[in-house]
Amino acid sequence: MVDGPEELSDRERAAVEAELRTLADDEFVVAERYTEWQVRGPTLEADIAIANIAQDELGHARLWYDLLEDFGYDQVDLIWERDPADFRHATLVELPFEDGDWADCVVRGYLYDTHEHLRLQALEDSAYAPIADRVGKVKGEETYHREHTQNWLERLAESRAGRERIQRAVDRLFPHALTLFERTDHEETIVDTDVRPEPLADLRAEWREVVSGFLAGLGVDVPVEDAAELLPDSRGRDGTHTEAWRSLYDEFTFTYRQLGRSEAPSLMPAPEEADVDV
Amino acid sequence: MDIDTVKERAGPREFGPGDDMPREYREAATRMIQFHANSEIMGAYIERPFIRQAPSLDRKLAVSAQVQDEVGHGQLLYRAAEELGIKTREEMLDELEAGDGKFLNCFHYPLDDWYELPMIMFFVDGAAMRRQATLKRTSWEPYAHAIDKICFEEGFHIKHGEDILRTIATGSKRDRERLQAAFEKWWPRILQFFGPTDDQSTHGEFAMEVGLKTMSNDDLRNAFLNAYVPKAKKYGLELPEYPRVEYHEADDYYEVYEEDLDWEEFFTVAKNEYPTGVGQIEKRERAQAAVEWVRDAIESPEQGGVSPAAADD
Repeated sequence: MVDGPEELSDRERAAVEAELRTLADDEFVVAERYTEWQVRGPTLEADIAIANIAQDELGHARLWYDLLEDFGYDQVDLIWERDPADFRHATLVELPFEDGDWADCVVRGYLYDTHEHLRLQALEDSAYAPIADRVGKVKGEETYHREHTQNWLERLAESRAGRERIQRAVDRLFPHALTLFERTDHEETIVDTDVRPEPLADLRAEWREVVSGFLAGLGVDVPVEDAAELLPDSRGRDGTHTEAWRSLYDEFTFTYRQLGRSEAPSLMPAPEEADVDV
Repeated sequence: MDIDTVKERAGPREFGPGDDMPREYREAATRMIQFHANSEIMGAYIERPFIRQAPSLDRKLAVSAQVQDEVGHGQLLYRAAEELGIKTREEMLDELEAGDGKFLNCFHYPLDDWYELPMIMFFVDGAAMRRQATLKRTSWEPYAHAIDKICFEEGFHIKHGEDILRTIATGSKRDRERLQAAFEKWWPRILQFFGPTDDQSTHGEFAMEVGLKTMSNDDLRNAFLNAYVPKAKKYGLELPEYPRVEYHEADDYYEVYEEDLDWEEFFTVAKNEYPTGVGQIEKRERAQAAVEWVRDAIESPEQGGVSPAAADD
């Protein structure tokens, strides 16, 4: 086990950083989109639930960004003054919602949460101890997210209108969901050094099996082609993004730039080991 | 129970769903609680864009949680109002969507940027806290019960609002100038938060008599003024020339010239006819219309076709 960056070679440091950035950026950006549903959900209860989930994801982003701070960065480097082309989230999480397209929100949540569940399972055995230590807390909350999205999918699928909406969302989102499993330049080192013992290709195969089975049970078709045929032009993990990303980035950095700050106000102490033990 | 008995018995948390309340009481209580619930929803509505615009992760989390709390308060309050048997939650939400639901004056105005956020999160929430604290002694028990939870959470919101205010107030000269401009724009609206002066208040007297309200608009406004003028000064904010606020040194007491406030604008706002408020209502109406299909789908799935599971049965 490795307890911190100082015990890593340069190659290993780059690998841990790459893994953490994809984890943190995914959580941060997916939450950013979820918050759009606050006060705009189909019911007050749905509003409150999606707000909970968004805050959980922001909390997880904070945990992963905090581990990146051990590598000498601060929040300003990692988010507020980072070049938008340096973000490594999957394109799935940055896509905008059409007005009222709650099916997109729950399908996206389902595809994302199922991926996260598998990825976290693999990271429970990470040789980089600070990652393995934090997985427990994140995984516990993700279980509730998956229940929430599955529950919604089942309810919507009971009507033809709902099922058609789900189908359209799956058709549109599935290729982008595949980018969750795209490799960074450091994938080989990540796997070889057990930062994440399971390769992305294996995780993707498991994910496709789970997702296809569940959605088929709802009467929804899932693409069967090879990932190479389905993947969108922008892959996220390599720094290429859809055009939605730049405007989202401009919006969430707007106040930061307007205030002309060089530090992000902090309200809470940095998460300590004690906070994340479960 | 007749209305005289209600007035005689009126006291803190005196009446609940088990009491046979006269229609006049139930209507007055519904009007008041529905207004409060609508205000929570519309307040959340204008704050929501600042989840995205928050300049740090912690602020983003706090603003998201705050918007969520307010929707939760709306949920609690609609429930407390429903128990009066006049309107269902759906009816109240439909009224809000259609522009017939009334809500606080301050939430009819747009929040333009981060500098304006503490005007709501510190001053308006502070004003709301003052009023709500007096409602812990309202005569409708389910309302008082909802208020207990609301006040508890609102305390955190105000602390966060004050922290945002402090950060801007200790920022650059340009930050402080923008903050002052935001304050001048919002201060008169904030003073109107407590509603018209008592002599112009249509429902105030009855609500006091039956114990729904425990403090008049004028008393609440004065209490707020005296608590918040010093707070504004503490953060370097200067009161605008109008409305005139006079300081009585002997009693250490501030008094506002209420005739300096624009009551015509206030009553236009109160009727849901002020342009920016109409804009907020219409935007929300569109957002709600866009998710109508979800409610239809889950309420009457059979009309949209049978589920695959049901087809297998």
